[in-house]
Amino acid sequence: MNPAQFTVDSRLDGDTAVIYPKGYLNNLAGESLVAECGRYTGKGIRKIVLNFGGTGLINSIGISLLLQIIEDLRTIEGTVCFSNMSKFQVDTLDMLGLLKHLRIFPAESEALQYLGAGAV
Amino acid sequence: MSTELKRALYNISALADLGQEITAGGSNFQEKIQAVLYVITGTFLTNKGAILACNKDGQMHILAQRGFDQLDPGRAAEEIKALARNEPCLLPAAFGADAGVAIGAGILTPLWVRDEFAGMVLLGEKFTADPYTAEDFELLRIIAAQIAVALNNHSLFRDLSAQLDENRRLYEEMRRIYHDTLQAFAAAIDAKDAYTKHHSQRVAKYSVAIARELGWNDHDIEGIYVAGYLHDVGKLVISNDLLNKKKPFTPEEVDQIKTHSTLSHTIISKINFPWKDVGKMIRHHHERLDGSGYPDALTHEDLNDGVRILTLADAFDAMTSRRAYRDKMDIQDALSELKNCLDTQFDNRILLAFCRVLDKEIKGELPEPDILPHFDRDSDLSVIAALLEGIIRELSS
Repeated sequence: MNPAQFTVDSRLDGDTAVIYPKGYLNNLAGESLVAECGRYTGKGIRKIVLNFGGTGLINSIGISLLLQIIEDLRTIEGTVCFSNMSKFQVDTLDMLGLLKHLRIFPAESEALQYLGAGAV
Repeated sequence: MSTELKRALYNISALADLGQEITAGGSNFQEKIQAVLYVITGTFLTNKGAILACNKDGQMHILAQRGFDQLDPGRAAEEIKALARNEPCLLPAAFGADAGVAIGAGILTPLWVRDEFAGMVLLGEKFTADPYTAEDFELLRIIAAQIAVALNNHSLFRDLSAQLDENRRLYEEMRRIYHDTLQAFAAAIDAKDAYTKHHSQRVAKYSVAIARELGWNDHDIEGIYVAGYLHDVGKLVISNDLLNKKKPFTPEEVDQIKTHSTLSHTIISKINFPWKDVGKMIRHHHERLDGSGYPDALTHEDLNDGVRILTLADAFDAMTSRRAYRDKMDIQDALSELKNCLDTQFDNRILLAFCRVLDKEIKGELPEPDILPHFDRDSDLSVIAALLEGIIRELSS
């Protein structure tokens, strides 16, 4: 798959939506990730895991889109967890001072376990 | 690597993202500005941001925004213009807390290019609740200058496009007037002779049909269309009595009639046509390949395709129209006559093209026929089609 071509897959795991962004999160195509989250929250889902295992580059546009998702979840008192991020991605979020505002897990299963424990 | 260095690299990367979005080909301006807004909000970590442009009439309008529930830039446009150009400023300091440019806005940057106010960028408080730093201000100043140029360029491009559209509209209007005038002229020519009503129009149409069949481009086709309309303009100078004379012409009268092509040429010679050879086509439309035509008795190599087309179209219409001194020929006889005069008067290729286009019109292969509508209703198209088939076969071999 062309990494510059951004796509989004998703699945429901109980009351949690697991979303898989694939490709570079660096242009307007990334809006589909926000839309996918919105599709689940629109159905009443308030727990979301974003699995970044298939995502390479995240630039300023990608950061902006992630902030929007976090804000959207906050507005409905929901929770979003990030998982499977590369060290570079985590370092970037750390450098931007965002880590303390996020819940990041090495693996998707750990994020699901955290959310399954009743976190909202 | 220190956090400061990482942050500096991120900022440089954000500037690169901005440049890429501004210069990106293929996307429309609205998408570009939306992407630019994402770059800014992602760089300064805010969920609220807006880019606004200033119209020629001084009104501000929103190009892209996110996160603001209320955005009323019109209220403070004049105050914004009074701020330092391309310098970010904290909103409360600029307007007081109740100025209300945008509820929730933290920083405003007026955008200027030279002495032109282009718009502004608004940013909300940071997601992290951290204050904007001096480095943020410096980066925003650089970004603002780039966005200002992008807005200004778009505005110039839009003005140019509007001017181009207006010029195009004026050109089309002039062109329409030109063609209307041409048709009025042709009507005046044809009105001189009761028997040649619409002759100029038909010759123009037949010539266009042949030229198109020969693969001429649109510009050259328009040229022969004009020549067709004006080829007999010299007849305006010849007396009505002579043109409508029912008895055979005397040799002197024939000579006088023959002057019409040079008269036509003289009349139109003052016009600087944008099409090539209009004058030649008009002057020589009674020349013959064997040199027995008039006014200059030119032969093969001196007669270009335009002249040859107009000559054939004129002759065909003359043959198939009634004259004061004779009845009209039917189509079959006219086609046979054209064929009989090949090499001496008419060109093989031109007759072949004429027959082919007529054949296509009869078979309904052309959406807008030029020749067929002028035939008599009682013409036997099947007989004409058979005749055309024979001529086409013969001339193609």
